[in-house]
Amino acid sequence: MIRLYDYHLDENGFRVRLLLSMLGLSFETVAVDKAPGREQEKPHMLALNPTGTLPILEDGDVRLFGTVAILAYLVRAYKPDSPWLPADAADFGRVQQWLGFSTRELKPAVDAREAALFTSEGASDSDLKAARKAFRIMNDHMTVRQIEGFDWFVGTSPTLADLALLPSFALSRDSGIDHDEYPALRRWLRRFRALPGFITMSGVPDYH
Amino acid sequence: MTSASPWIPVALSADIEAGTSAGTLVNGEERVVWRDDKGAIHVWEDRCPHRGMRMSFGFVRGDHIACLYHGWRYDTSGQCRYIPAHPDLEVPQTIKVPTFAATERAGIVWMALEGADAAELSALPETAEPVRSLFLDMTAEAALAAVTSTLPEGCSVSATSASTVTLEGNGTTVLIAAQARDAERTALHMTVTGDISTTTRRSLALWATDLRNRLESQMVEAA
Repeated sequence: MIRLYDYHLDENGFRVRLLLSMLGLSFETVAVDKAPGREQEKPHMLALNPTGTLPILEDGDVRLFGTVAILAYLVRAYKPDSPWLPADAADFGRVQQWLGFSTRELKPAVDAREAALFTSEGASDSDLKAARKAFRIMNDHMTVRQIEGFDWFVGTSPTLADLALLPSFALSRDSGIDHDEYPALRRWLRRFRALPGFITMSGVPDYH
Repeated sequence: MTSASPWIPVALSADIEAGTSAGTLVNGEERVVWRDDKGAIHVWEDRCPHRGMRMSFGFVRGDHIACLYHGWRYDTSGQCRYIPAHPDLEVPQTIKVPTFAATERAGIVWMALEGADAAELSALPETAEPVRSLFLDMTAEAALAAVTSTLPEGCSVSATSASTVTLEGNGTTVLIAAQARDAERTALHMTVTGDISTTTRRSLALWATDLRNRLESQMVEAA
């Protein structure tokens, strides 16, 4: 049985839960008190993941930390021939590019949301500015993709690029970033929501 | 420049799909633009009269839009028709969202005060293909001036109004309509007629992105 160490309001946990659901995989959750307890940084959790982050995935002998590593593992292990990780070298590279973007350029969006939800100071101006810049890069990309007749970030079907990028945009209102200025992302979010196995979390409305 | 039209561009038609809503800012005021399942476009104040929640966060069902908070449902005239917590209540006529006149022309959604005459837009083509909306941190006037001073290759200005610029060139007519979001922020909505090929629309979209990036690097240098 796949085991996910997770906190229910965690955005990166949502990335993994979303993929598990879309791949139709069952799993058990170990709830970790990230807020307010910061349990993921306690010694018993550092023994599982020395970096002190969530989520952590266990599957038999495999234990992984780092969201995109977990996503890539699940696809390779359970749907190796699916378009989630394209076989074509160029598209595989493009998916890796956006996976990197999701951990780098979107980190301020993840941090801004956590600060807005779990701290009294709220999100920092610099994180909000960087998050908006990242969303704008994504919107510029999808604007051109849409004109070219494509629905997804890479290739002709949804990939891990879409799945890893989407939660930050879907949850951006938690930190006060509205969707007004990103029309191409609005349409992309709506398309992705209609895919089989899509699930929501607190902050992503069930209705749309 | 001709006299100011009462019609304000608020979105590309293609970006408001049937059964969806989006928020926008018009002269600093929050508006919701939504399309019912029959395809008709609506522009309202973006506030549920109940708790002030933005209607653009809500959801469209058929020809009603519902608030995300408590599901209060409004018909296309802005009149509240159903309150889930009081299913048997005949909803008072006073529970109503203020609405605006809304129309579509040249691939763009336009709003005005109720009663405005859509004939004022008749100089524009009836339909057009979308290019993109571009969001700039400057006044609408400055944004349109930036367009006319950095034209796409082979294009020249063929018409202007207070809020629009029309460009011609390479067999394409480009309409750029400016929406003053507030005193410092503008959205430019771009559509094309004539040569509407993917190549043309793609290169115009990239021209617009490049224009924004150049304007921003100028602002950084000036600061």
